[in-house]
Amino acid sequence: MKTYSYPRSQEIFRRASKVIPSGIYGHLGPSQGCFIPVQAYPFFVERAKGAYFWDVDGNRFIDYMCAYGPNVLGYNDPDVDEAVSKQMAIGNCTTLPTTKMIELAELLVDTVTSADWAFFAKNGGDVTSFALMTARAATNRPKVILFHGGYHGVAPWAQKLGYPGITAADTENNIYVHWNNYAEIQAAVRDNPGQIACLMAPPYHHPIFEDNQLPAEGFWAKVRKLCTDNGIVLAIDDVRCGFRLDNRGSDYYYGFKADLICFCKALANGWNVSALCGTDSLKEAASAVMYTGSYWLSSAPFAAAIATVTKLRQIDGAKLMLAQGRKLTAGLREIGLVHGFDLRISGEPSMWFMRIANDDNMLLHQEWVAECVRRGAFFTNHHNLFINCALSDEDIKHTFAIAEDAFKTVKERHPEIF
Amino acid sequence: MAEEKVKACINLHAVLRNLEDLCELDPMSRKIIQGKNVALKFSVVGISKSVITFTEGKCTAVKGDGPCSINLYFSSPRNFNLMIEGKKNPIPTKGFQHIGFLKNEFTKLADRLSYYLKPTAELLGDKEYARINTILTAYTAFFAIPEIANWDPLGQLNASRIADGAINVEVIDGPAISITAKGGRLETSKGKTANARAFMVFDSIDTASGILNGTLDSYSCIGEGRLSISGFVPMIDNLNKILAQVPGYLM
Ligand SMILES: Cc1ncc(COP(=O)(O)O)c(C=O)c1O
Repeated sequence: MKTYSYPRSQEIFRRASKVIPSGIYGHLGPSQGCFIPVQAYPFFVERAKGAYFWDVDGNRFIDYMCAYGPNVLGYNDPDVDEAVSKQMAIGNCTTLPTTKMIELAELLVDTVTSADWAFFAKNGGDVTSFALMTARAATNRPKVILFHGGYHGVAPWAQKLGYPGITAADTENNIYVHWNNYAEIQAAVRDNPGQIACLMAPPYHHPIFEDNQLPAEGFWAKVRKLCTDNGIVLAIDDVRCGFRLDNRGSDYYYGFKADLICFCKALANGWNVSALCGTDSLKEAASAVMYTGSYWLSSAPFAAAIATVTKLRQIDGAKLMLAQGRKLTAGLREIGLVHGFDLRISGEPSMWFMRIANDDNMLLHQEWVAECVRRGAFFTNHHNLFINCALSDEDIKHTFAIAEDAFKTVKERHPEIF
Repeated sequence: MAEEKVKACINLHAVLRNLEDLCELDPMSRKIIQGKNVALKFSVVGISKSVITFTEGKCTAVKGDGPCSINLYFSSPRNFNLMIEGKKNPIPTKGFQHIGFLKNEFTKLADRLSYYLKPTAELLGDKEYARINTILTAYTAFFAIPEIANWDPLGQLNASRIADGAINVEVIDGPAISITAKGGRLETSKGKTANARAFMVFDSIDTASGILNGTLDSYSCIGEGRLSISGFVPMIDNLNKILAQVPGYLM
């Protein structure tokens, strides 16, 4: 199978490094994006369509990162982009909002089971921070229970003491517990009476570099009850899972009801809008918090979100992505086994995590992922992957061929193991 | 003060430890210790001792207690740090007959060490100087890491986040070091460890020198493939946060 090279990407990266901190900062960059080895990865996209992107060297990739989630219907979805064009012709960032904002709020209240209202911002981190502030405003309490290995964005409270730029004051109200450990949560609540405003959690545990974990049987029911009994706001960070498990919310998917729920990534198919939805009892607190931004009420992203959510409901996008994910992951695991690789799949199939478990240092996994990327299946080795609705059976078949060739290549390279 | 303690640990177990490598790498230092036979113990109240032995033209630095011919006693980490800064003279509690070694050879070695650890742009232009500077700077930084990890409050936090196992750090055509984590405590040793869980490779002395001396941005180097990282990367992410604390203690 032909393998890719990236001379232009590398040349452009050097240009970027001169004027941009770290060249490409953040999760899309080679450092945080764990491009291992960097030579196996492209750095810049030239164009994208459906389930694919093409890099600046002209290589095509089946994209299993989906911009880390936003690409849910397929890049440049015609329905979404048409809605955006129409709105752009009327007005976007204006002195007063347009009624698109209400349409989107109504649509979310109608779609998301736990939502009585919706508040809009831009990024996932905007709404996780807002959820915490709303919970504090409502309860007049300072603390928050969070899970080890969780991610809620880059606001100082969501980072860790010891990280650059973070002070002890930023994180002093955080209490960390382990996923699925109900006894630990109970103890945290018992030890901090009248102090805990909020428990913030993803619907299931999706850390990087580790097998992802679904909620244990009865976990959410117990946590829900504990929060209710102790006046703690249960905030679900559905930024990553939202609309990939169930259009009605991932709390609905796991059979409980959140007080607050954060959406971002899949909400508008790549257009910049995030939302915090909540129950009536928290609407006043949400109004009371001072929270806004220059572009938060822009109308074009609202139009994109309306078109995206409407289409996801029409085609039952979550169900479709779960089904495609199941097909893909079952196939990858099977092909791996044939060649002696223990490829472990965890998490939900529409945003699965995978890891070759033959060694304990991820080296084989990183090699295999790199060989897949070089053949046109864009995976990362540290993070969960994503399915989008444009991914076809043909794409899955082609991915199997890539995976097989990559497994063979890695196996041949390691006669000491296989 | 906690900060003085960490600084003293670094000064002793990371900076002075370099005498071992200095005497191997620098011909002038090798000459200074020619024919000397002295074991120098540093006893600083509140931190681990170190014995630096000069024998048969070689120097070895060993962390921990041991026999010595001269014992230098410091009543506090601060007093030791003042000696390192040249603001206080060391006073032996044993081995007065070797006072000449302290005044002459040891002082000269200390000067050679700071010559290599305090580079100028001009000095770095010399390839051999740059090579020795990089090796000693790398050893200083990576031997300082466990001291920060074990004694500095933020260092302890970041160290507690490092999974058990070894991290290999390698400079192509240069030194290799491994850092082993166990239960949040770290230990550095020279050379690579088999079965490491995470790997950091500088593609050349130049790259390592640039990153350690702050003239190259490590993130851009990762993008350009000059610094490569692999394996269980969260170990390295947390290690790097401790590494970033090193310059603060060396000022
Ligand atoms: C679960 C979760 N919460 C919050 C965020 C932060 O979102 P953003 O990067 O849009 O601020 C992310 C982003 O990856 C996420 O996955």
